[in-house]
Amino acid sequence: MDLGLITFHRLNYMSEPKQYVYETIASLLGNKSAQVSDDTPLIGDGSVLDSMKLVELCLKLEDKAAELGFEFDWTSAAAMSTSRSMFRTADTLATEFLSQMKSKR
Amino acid sequence: MIVVTGASKGLGRAICERLLSKDMEVLGLARDVSGVPFQAMACDVSSYDDVKTVVQAIKRGGKNLHGLINAAGIASMNLALTTPPKVSQQIVETNLLGTIYCCQLFSQLLIRNRRGSIINFSTIAVALGLKGESIYAASKAGVESFTRAFAREMADFNVNVNCIAPGPINTDLLAGITASQIAKIVSQQVIPKQFTHDAVSDLVELLLDRRSNSLSGQVLHVGGA
Repeated sequence: MDLGLITFHRLNYMSEPKQYVYETIASLLGNKSAQVSDDTPLIGDGSVLDSMKLVELCLKLEDKAAELGFEFDWTSAAAMSTSRSMFRTADTLATEFLSQMKSKR
Repeated sequence: MIVVTGASKGLGRAICERLLSKDMEVLGLARDVSGVPFQAMACDVSSYDDVKTVVQAIKRGGKNLHGLINAAGIASMNLALTTPPKVSQQIVETNLLGTIYCCQLFSQLLIRNRRGSIINFSTIAVALGLKGESIYAASKAGVESFTRAFAREMADFNVNVNCIAPGPINTDLLAGITASQIAKIVSQQVIPKQFTHDAVSDLVELLLDRRSNSLSGQVLHVGGA
């Protein structure tokens, strides 16, 4: 068994949704090539998205999840908490998306 | 498509019949839809999962949702002191949480269309603080507050959220209220006459019409309060 190949495939499989999250944020900013980094804040001070764009992002992720065969739940008691929310940064959102994908598929 | 909750009887049923008579596509929701002579699905609005199931079915069916009418409601004309806790819980769960769940979940479909109208239901009992309706009125006061704030959240998506607050209309909710009590309530309205389902359905039609798209976050009192 070639473990290296398995790892390579897994990385590819995991990174595509994360890339989608970042690209979608960039497109909502009106600029496909906008720099979205792990630390890009999605809520709170310095957020790059207003609440309307944030909901649009969630709807797009919901559609992507359906395409990938799972249901993305973007409701959370801590949704607007700048310390605990999945929307804290681009990275925390992508991490949550991947986590739900892994647990629900 | 317009979704109407509480569609099996009373005001909800009358609203469905009015919209169907205007050739609108209606999906009625009720806990028991046996005998409902139009498109309907069983759904207990106080169950988040039930409501979610309906939303998913609409999504799968590729239907475009343009309106949501939250007409499901229960009442127990009783003094707060003599109302069992289970009844208080049912009233709040159906009237307030049911409205919130439907607004939360169906608005995800309305947002996608970038237009829509949500109509919630309150009661004159809120404005008048009617004796014997304190728990019912409290649940509906919650609906009014929710309507005002939720309307702001939906405004960017071109979805209007309003509330109709009827006076005494002849439905099951009036069971147990005497004619003299009804007359007393009606006498406190701005227009002191008892209105019918038709007046409410007229307002529903108005709020579904795009010509009323400047109205949002409002509580409209049938008969005035």
